[in-house]
Amino acid sequence: MSTTVTQDMSFLYLISSASVLVQLVMLILVLISFFSWWFIFRKLFVIRNEKRKTDDFEDIFWRGVDLNALHQRITSARYDSGSLERIFAAGFGEFNKHPAGSDLDAVMESTRRAMRATYQREMDYLESHLSFLATVGSVSPYIGLLGTVWGIMNSFRSLSSVTQATIAHVAPGIAEALIATAMGLFAAIPAVVAYNRYASSTDQLATRFESFMEELSNVLQRRAAG
Amino acid sequence: MSVSALRNSSYSEPRILLAGALAVLVHLVFIAVLIFGLNWKDQQPEGMMVEIWTELPTPIQESVKTQSPPKQIKPAPEPVKPKPEPERPKPEPVKPEPAKPAPQQAAVTPPVKKPDITIQQKPDPIKEIKPDLERQKKQEQERLKELEKQKELEKKKELEKQKELEKQKELARQKELEKQKELQKQKELAAQQQREQAAKAQREAEAQRAAQQAAARNQITNEISKYKALIQAKIRSRIVMPPDLPGNPIAEFSITLLPGGDILEVRLSRSSGHAVFDNAVERAIHLSKPLPLPPDPALFNEFRNLNITVHYRE
Repeated sequence: MSTTVTQDMSFLYLISSASVLVQLVMLILVLISFFSWWFIFRKLFVIRNEKRKTDDFEDIFWRGVDLNALHQRITSARYDSGSLERIFAAGFGEFNKHPAGSDLDAVMESTRRAMRATYQREMDYLESHLSFLATVGSVSPYIGLLGTVWGIMNSFRSLSSVTQATIAHVAPGIAEALIATAMGLFAAIPAVVAYNRYASSTDQLATRFESFMEELSNVLQRRAAG
Repeated sequence: MSVSALRNSSYSEPRILLAGALAVLVHLVFIAVLIFGLNWKDQQPEGMMVEIWTELPTPIQESVKTQSPPKQIKPAPEPVKPKPEPERPKPEPVKPEPAKPAPQQAAVTPPVKKPDITIQQKPDPIKEIKPDLERQKKQEQERLKELEKQKELEKKKELEKQKELEKQKELARQKELEKQKELQKQKELAAQQQREQAAKAQREAEAQRAAQQAAARNQITNEISKYKALIQAKIRSRIVMPPDLPGNPIAEFSITLLPGGDILEVRLSRSSGHAVFDNAVERAIHLSKPLPLPPDPALFNEFRNLNITVHYRE
């Protein structure tokens, strides 16, 4: 056994000769890693898209466009709207629903509530799967470690039946066990990096949304008063 | 209502499939790196494998063999060259001995004869001319001339004969030289062949010796381990095991043996921690004498001081 193992230390052989639990751990880690990378790319595209659209909308909004025309355009082009556009549409739509001459405070309050609700949903959408990345980053090293510890336990247990212990008896078992740790780290490191980066990006977007909401309510209040 | 519609539309995420493809790509790259990286690391242990060490000695011997023949061949011509040199001088002295005397004799004998004849004849004519007739002188002169002519002819014939003889001798010498050279060449070839054969035989003998030695060593180690196992088994069979000892205590004894298998001394080198077990093993060792020893007395040195470890449980 040991001689064959020393002859063939290739990656596939190590995986195929590992114990069932280690193989299970490896399978879990491969799946976790795949999903984590999938979400990393998805969030990358989503956040980049959101940033671009927010920039565009702020640019258009502060150029002094007619708000009615803007609202019309956003509701007609519904499949290509960004979060900030949707927040604006929600607020402006709510503001327009109130008949002229109603209580300004009540109108502004309901407008702000509508924008707040849309903002919550948009933030929920932007932050979705970020918790998954955080979980992967913190847990997958431990899963890998579990596989490694189990594999090393097995390789040492097989040592007890041998009278003359050499490193050749333990080495393949440890090598195959360490693959699990490597996979766990491979899943964890990019997940942690992506989580931190995307969390800060969504925070930046959230501050931009909130400040826009305040500014829009000011604009609407002045419009209602004036 | 319009808001909820907008929100629903927002969940059609951009480029989900592209993200999935990129994730797959990342993993493929990682797997490729792992496989190639581990394979690359795998080649170093292969280079340090023990099998290569067992193969290495033979190439070394072969290389030594291949190197040694040229060495042997190079010295081979060297001893051969001196041989022709001493042998060639032999024919060379042979040449001068017959050759030099022959021209000397050829050159010397005719002048020696001439004076004899002239001295004998000249006084005669001088004496005869005075008393005798001129005819006689003429006749004698003619005779002398004829004689001289005959002598000259004879001389020429002798010279020709000598030349022919010399030629023949030279031819014979040349033939002999050629024969000698051929013989020498043949000798050299034979010597080389003999040397090569001897070298081959030496190599084979060395290989056989090495193989025999290895086999002998193996046999010896096999014998030793076999008889050690026999001794262990015999002692083990005589132990009256004390019942119910905890764990698997190990007692180590060092035994001094006498040729023939008698036990000179039994010493407890490491106690098992259970005096009952130690005593049982010691009793068993004393009971199991004579211990089985290999028939070859040369191996007894391996058994003179034996270390025996006995496990409570096998």
